[in-house]
Amino acid sequence: MAPKRSSAAPSSTSATATSTSSSTTPLSSGPRTLSANSSVSEIAFHVWHQYLTTTSQRTLLLDAFMAFLVLVGGVQFAYCVLAGNYPFNAFLSGFCAAVGQFVLTASLRMQTSSSERTGATGGSANSGKGGKAVVARGEADGGVSHERAFADYIFGSLILHFFCINFIN
Amino acid sequence: MRWCSSLLLFGCLAAVNALSSSGNRLLVVLEDAAEKGLYSTLFGDLEARGYNLIFDSPKNEQLSLFELGDRAYDHVLLLPPKSKGFGPSLSPKNLVDFLNNDGNVLLALSGKSTTPSAVSSLLLEFDIHISPDRSSVAVDHFNYDTLSASEKHDVLVLERPGKLRPDTKEFFGGEGILAVPSASPHTLGDTSLLAPILRAPATAYSYNPKEDSGSVEEVFATGSQLALASAMQARNSARFTLLGSVESLQDKWFSATVKAPGGKEVKTANREFAKQLTAWTFKETGVLKVEKIEHHLAKHGLALEDLNPTIYRVKNETVFTIEISEYAHDRYIPFEIPENDALQLEFTMLSPFHRLNLTPIKTTENSTLFSTQFTVPDQHGIFSFRVNYKRPFLTNIEEKHEVTVRHYAHNEYPRSWKISGGWVWIAGLWSVIAGFLAFVVIWLYSEPASAVDGKRKKTQ
Repeated sequence: MAPKRSSAAPSSTSATATSTSSSTTPLSSGPRTLSANSSVSEIAFHVWHQYLTTTSQRTLLLDAFMAFLVLVGGVQFAYCVLAGNYPFNAFLSGFCAAVGQFVLTASLRMQTSSSERTGATGGSANSGKGGKAVVARGEADGGVSHERAFADYIFGSLILHFFCINFIN
Repeated sequence: MRWCSSLLLFGCLAAVNALSSSGNRLLVVLEDAAEKGLYSTLFGDLEARGYNLIFDSPKNEQLSLFELGDRAYDHVLLLPPKSKGFGPSLSPKNLVDFLNNDGNVLLALSGKSTTPSAVSSLLLEFDIHISPDRSSVAVDHFNYDTLSASEKHDVLVLERPGKLRPDTKEFFGGEGILAVPSASPHTLGDTSLLAPILRAPATAYSYNPKEDSGSVEEVFATGSQLALASAMQARNSARFTLLGSVESLQDKWFSATVKAPGGKEVKTANREFAKQLTAWTFKETGVLKVEKIEHHLAKHGLALEDLNPTIYRVKNETVFTIEISEYAHDRYIPFEIPENDALQLEFTMLSPFHRLNLTPIKTTENSTLFSTQFTVPDQHGIFSFRVNYKRPFLTNIEEKHEVTVRHYAHNEYPRSWKISGGWVWIAGLWSVIAGFLAFVVIWLYSEPASAVDGKRKKTQ
């Protein structure tokens, strides 16, 4: 990811690495830094703002989808608690579809967003498994490429949907 | 040859007369042929009802209840022997074998002579007990015949018996008074095969006239413990009847006039009672027959091949029908369940999952159809429809029809959308899938500009 990082250096995404490593140094963009005696709401607002400004668009999309899945799963579970679990197979497949999709999406988020981040630290997060693919594609940072991760994600999701639709009858 | 021709003759007679449901060959074991005259009315009545009476003496060595391994007679009437027993051909073992081969036996005893020990041991086979001295007489100082036994009080004057229990059929009831002279009383053991027909009155007791002491020291049994006539119906429905007083079958008592203390002079009903007793013992009454059994799914438009299927599914609605007729003297009539009783169907696998009352739905000329409808239990396996109807004085019905009960096939469950309770989860699943598709599309259209730039640079 070396070429990408060099071109993206002035943009806001590059601040991820620096902001986590040293929060005291002033940033090129973003609001004023927190002082030692900031209030809770200030800290929360700051974290939220930092998240919005420093997260890439795809990661934001992933987070929005995961929030949607949590909502869908929560509604289904609440319905099961309130209205009973008959037919139980429908509950299992509906709820497990939400949970499974959440897990798969979380995996995709780890594989795509962490590789952006680990570009600076040298790919310590992904080791071993992703190595072969990286070597084959000539990638230097030791992670799985975004395209490969996304293809795995679609493959896993389709299997999940197939089983859930079958099980719900 | 003579035997054959007489059989033929009575075979023809049977066509016009009443006939037992299980054959008409009746062996009368009578030790003294001269005594035949004493019972002429009884024998005349039996012949008039279509029986082929064969008289024989227990002393006859040719006499055998079996011929070539089969029953030689259908029924046996045993009159009390004068000698030590009925001889080798009518030993207790032979008589029990005869019962096991569906033969019926009517045994009459008398209090005037000592009952042989061979007869006593035969009765023990059926758990019927007579007094240990084997020569007791039933005596009653309140219900005796003042005309003939004003001194001895051994001619009991009784009402005719009613129902044994409120839930049984009445086969021996009717109007009239019975005279039971010098009866040898007996008591019954605790088995369901035994049923008393005629009990002694509460004031009766067992008395041995051979004991010289005027007072009774140790009584064998008293009151209604004593039975004067009892029935044993074996599990194969063969019948054995014990009558304590053979004298009550004699012509003399068929037409006698008796007078109870403080009562009026009345004619005895012994003849009618003897008819009922012989008719029941020789299977003219109380014989049940299962005509047909049908079971099928409860639905309209049944075809012939839908009847009596060998396989059912759990939770099927099923109809079971059984047709039962009862033999009454000369023909089959529709069977009616006694009041307070129920004919029941069991749907069993090891133990009954259902036990249901069968209700009469239709009566034909000579049978009644009983039916019930039920839901097959939610348990698969080998089940059987069972009708197990065993009542005193009625032949046993024990029917067992096996069927397989299978579980639901995979395509017999309702589809998910048929169950409205699952709609929320169905919507949840499809919203996850729709969300996934939308996410994939947006993901593909939102490749970050930096990556595009990077690729472009790389290609350059």
